[in-house]
Amino acid sequence: MDKYKNFSESDFLDDHYFLQWLTYRSAEDEEIWMDFLKSYPSKVQIVRAAESIFNLLRVREREMNLPEQFELWNRIRIESVTSEKNVWVKLVKYAAVLICVFCSGALSFYLYQDKPIPVYNRVIGSVTFEDSTKKYSNLKALLILSDGSKIPLERQLSKISYNYSGNQLVVNQDTIKQEAGFNSGFLNRVSIPYGKKSIIELSDGTKVWLNAGSQIAFPTVFSGAFRKVELKGEAFFEVAKNAERPFLVETCDQVVHVVGTKFNVSAYPEDKFVQTVLQEGKVSLEIRDKKLLKKDHFIEMDPDQMIELDKESKEIFRSVVDASKYIMWRDDILEFNKIDLGKALKQIERFYDIQITLADPKIALYKLSGKLDLKENPEDVLNVIKLTVPIAWRKTNKNFKLTEK
Amino acid sequence: MPNFENKTDERLLWVKFLDGDDQVLSSIYLEHSHSLFDYGCRFTNDRDLVKDCIQEVFCNLIKMRSRLSETDNIKFYLLTSTKREIIRALKKSSKKIYAEDDFDYSFELLLNKNIDQQDAEFDEGKQVALAVALGMLTDRQKEAIYLRFNKGLEYDEISAILNLNYQSSRALIHRAIEKLRSLIRLEEAKFTQVLLSMFTSNNKSVI
Repeated sequence: MDKYKNFSESDFLDDHYFLQWLTYRSAEDEEIWMDFLKSYPSKVQIVRAAESIFNLLRVREREMNLPEQFELWNRIRIESVTSEKNVWVKLVKYAAVLICVFCSGALSFYLYQDKPIPVYNRVIGSVTFEDSTKKYSNLKALLILSDGSKIPLERQLSKISYNYSGNQLVVNQDTIKQEAGFNSGFLNRVSIPYGKKSIIELSDGTKVWLNAGSQIAFPTVFSGAFRKVELKGEAFFEVAKNAERPFLVETCDQVVHVVGTKFNVSAYPEDKFVQTVLQEGKVSLEIRDKKLLKKDHFIEMDPDQMIELDKESKEIFRSVVDASKYIMWRDDILEFNKIDLGKALKQIERFYDIQITLADPKIALYKLSGKLDLKENPEDVLNVIKLTVPIAWRKTNKNFKLTEK
Repeated sequence: MPNFENKTDERLLWVKFLDGDDQVLSSIYLEHSHSLFDYGCRFTNDRDLVKDCIQEVFCNLIKMRSRLSETDNIKFYLLTSTKREIIRALKKSSKKIYAEDDFDYSFELLLNKNIDQQDAEFDEGKQVALAVALGMLTDRQKEAIYLRFNKGLEYDEISAILNLNYQSSRALIHRAIEKLRSLIRLEEAKFTQVLLSMFTSNNKSVI
């Protein structure tokens, strides 16, 4: 690094490692360059100037939209199938699969729907979730493998576990073999409707607890510079340590960058906030700002901190919390400290897959504190709430109506 | 380790592909398809043409697998192939006859959507100034900058793609950076007015 002490702006811009640092911003490179700047503070201005130029010169790149990227791949596959018959014989059966679920880097999910729709239009995730007037989730409990095969998840709590090479996975009691074939660069996805939960062990050893009404997509095996998963809803992550390959959790509005750590992300589409709580380790949140001309910015988090991101205003609220309270949902317990009753009821709705309506909207603003054990049935839970909040409830089918007392 | 630095990984992936491993190809596609698409779109507005060319590139990979050599630089290989296909397609669709290296293609480097803008002072005025400045670069300079700062290619790789020698490609980029830097310096001396007068007097169109 000493050689850099005599570098001019142009020299930096000419240097491979300098450009690599600015392009990828890996933790290692950051440390090396920060140390360099600490040892040679006179270089800070020059480095910053070179950095400015770099940022000006590097343009934003366009991407294909999902259906395009998928359809192009399909064309490539089909063309190669027809031109080289013997090499691709085992792939012909994949060409016959009606649905090949595919997701890469972008933010929408593809899921199965009951009506037949041409494959490239299956943007079902956004249709279901962005409709914020819907209280119920239309999700089916499913695991979709990278070759498109669907495995229903019948249990209240499904356990899915991938082996290291990704060619075998265990779903509850069944072992399934996946062919490491043409599609294994593609993603698997798990969707969990209201009323259910899932624990997934990924091929790198990372454990994910997926909460009700959530979906997650991940590759069978992680390759490349990052381990990236996409989340819609809520999940708790216990990330297997791998400094060489940062783990990323991408949601609509933010990306969480981790190395090895335990944290909870709550990013339900119908919620106003994205909430991230760190239990152990260290993460960086990358907040995406879709407005042009504004950069994405990174926020560092320490354990027992919570960051709430207002999706509309992009405002960020940091608070110190007891992280363990925010992950009790894994054990079917909810603990609140002066939370809006409306928010608590939403979580209860998702857990039990019931619908709770309020006769008077101001009920939603009552404050609730205490612990709720969701292993009880919803009637008992509401009775516990009644002890601290002046409400009465009445049940018709799966609907609970709350009124002021 | 960032992937474009990890030459051993790249080499292994490629060897696996050459050996007949198909799983690898879908990973390669996923890794590179958006990047190739963006590169292609800088030569033409025709998205379908760009996609057709990418299709050609991957199908050729498969067809000629047995004849391909080992490489540790898949990215460079794919970029080169993509450009080759695009130029070929553009030549064809222009319906004129061109000598081998004669084809005059354009390269677009949009400014307005820059990523990672660190400077708080990156205001509208500077945006416009930069757009004009980049507009004053030649297509080759623009492509060189793109290949260097967006794709992270080395000078020898840039020379290969642009058909220049090593020194020329370095000089090309240095000259472009100098041009930009001087225009940024002008900004500190109320450049907007200066630029506007330059703009009208030079009769150049802004990107």
